[in-house]
Amino acid sequence: MSKRFEVLVVDDEPIVGKRLKVALEKTGYDVEVFDSGPAALERIGEKQFDFVVTDVRMDNVDGIDILNKVTETSPRTKVIIITGYATIELAREALVKGAYDFIAKPFQPDDLREVLERAVKARELDSDK
Amino acid sequence: MTQENHIEDAEYQAEKALKERPRFSIRSRLLLGFMLFFILSAAAELTAIITLHRLEEKTRFLVIADRYTYEIQQARRFEKNFFLYQTDLQYVFDHVGPAESLMNSNSQELRSVLGDDNYIVLNAHLEKYKELLFQLAAIDTVLPENAETRMSEIENELRQYGSQMITFALQLSERELDTVRSMFRWAKLLPLIFLVFFLILVIYMANFLFRQINRPLSRLMELTERIAEGDLTPITPFRKYRDEFSNVNMALNHMIHELKRRQELMIESHKLRAIGTLTAGIAHELNNPLNNITLTAAVLEEDYENISDEQRLELVRDLVKEAQRSERIVRNLLGFARKSEIETKHLDISDLIAETLKLAQNQVNLKGVKVTTSIPVNLPKIHGDRQQLNQVFLNLILNALDAIDKNGKLNITAETTSMFDFITIKFTDNGSGIPHHILPSIFDPFFTTKPTRRGTGLGLSVSKGIIEEHGGNITVESEVGTGTTFIISLPIARIPAEFK
Repeated sequence: MSKRFEVLVVDDEPIVGKRLKVALEKTGYDVEVFDSGPAALERIGEKQFDFVVTDVRMDNVDGIDILNKVTETSPRTKVIIITGYATIELAREALVKGAYDFIAKPFQPDDLREVLERAVKARELDSDK
Repeated sequence: MTQENHIEDAEYQAEKALKERPRFSIRSRLLLGFMLFFILSAAAELTAIITLHRLEEKTRFLVIADRYTYEIQQARRFEKNFFLYQTDLQYVFDHVGPAESLMNSNSQELRSVLGDDNYIVLNAHLEKYKELLFQLAAIDTVLPENAETRMSEIENELRQYGSQMITFALQLSERELDTVRSMFRWAKLLPLIFLVFFLILVIYMANFLFRQINRPLSRLMELTERIAEGDLTPITPFRKYRDEFSNVNMALNHMIHELKRRQELMIESHKLRAIGTLTAGIAHELNNPLNNITLTAAVLEEDYENISDEQRLELVRDLVKEAQRSERIVRNLLGFARKSEIETKHLDISDLIAETLKLAQNQVNLKGVKVTTSIPVNLPKIHGDRQQLNQVFLNLILNALDAIDKNGKLNITAETTSMFDFITIKFTDNGSGIPHHILPSIFDPFFTTKPTRRGTGLGLSVSKGIIEEHGGNITVESEVGTGTTFIISLPIARIPAEFK
């Protein structure tokens, strides 16, 4: 992998961030982790990431808010939504609003890696245009 | 003895007591009343007939007595003429004969009216008089020599007997006339006496009808009101006899039994629905620890060789922690879903509310609703079933969540009433409110404003049933656009917990 892609992970379950950071960095991504929506939003305002992986339901700020902020500040960034049971509706809304894909809890790191790989290709296709 | 057995026993006792009363139906009581009426009227009629009959008899006697007296008086007049003017003695016989035949032909009647003694005396007088007349006639023809003295003797005797006969006959007539007069008085009085009797009977019958029909009816009305208010204790007899109303009461007891059974079914089915709602929430909630476990386990597997012992231990601790978290979530649901045997205890309102909020926490979070509680620390305890009350509170909280928008507010407060007998718990939301016209129906079974498949319409009706079974009540105040407040009152537990 020539370029290290930058990924922002936000989930209010701290363990999710901790594990994904380890797992994704091993695969070759640069990972920044947040366990609260507002802090992540602030960071997104500062920096354009290649990928944003966000839980759809969080206190105060939810995945849709994150998605809106990303589309606003960095349209090229691919947003991947993490959903749980009973939040399928929210995930669908996110897709309509321009999220790249969603991944349902519980998932293995490989599941996310797979989605990210596809997203990388999609980004490459985007930049070829 | 469990509560259920206790209830069944109460039902059985009520049925037994209703059946054991001696049978005396209203039909037979009415029949008895009317029979009494009939007997009394028949007695009145009969007395009237007898009185009239006896009057008729007396009148006939008086006619006979009158004729007899007349004949005797005539006989005596001719007797006097015989002694004064020597008229024919045959004239006297002409009147004694009819008097005698009057006596003979009416002997039966005379005997019955006068009595045997008087009749014999009367007859003896007449016989003696006749005999003296025969002697007089004999003197006239057989003994001319000492006729003068003999005649004056007979004359004296005749006068004596004659006057006695007249006096006696007149006395008898007079006596009978008195009887007739008193019988007339009696005949006039009799209808009045019966009228009084009838009046008493009519008053008694009216009173009877009121007591036997109107009173049980109004009691039935009270009973149906009691049942409508949710008091499902069986009806016990309150009168001495078993009658048609006892049958109505038994039918009502059967209805109460069925109502209770159906209410239990309704509570159970409503609980299942609540479990459905909760399960969805809990499945979501379980996803988080499960996801944490999956990720941690995957990382542990992938990097097992490359990480330090300390890092491995951290991962394993995370696994244990998340597994425990899952267990807690499942236990909460099981606690709610376990079989509902009614189990009453002294309960602390703030514990109950906290438990319920924990169950609903996920829905609250999903909706982004802010829930505040304000419950005094020293609030007295109430007596009731933890699970059922949890169900009621959960239902109100879930309803409030449905009614409020994202970022709405739900406020739960509890306090004692000014009378200190009850605790009121208020669930106030700032949601859409309930339109005034449907407010009266919200506690009705199967009433729902939710889309067809989302609500059973049983929640509030079941809640009301549960609260009323606890001796409390539930009311609602609502303003469209402002919000809704559900107010539950529950009686404060009186018996100290140690004595339970």
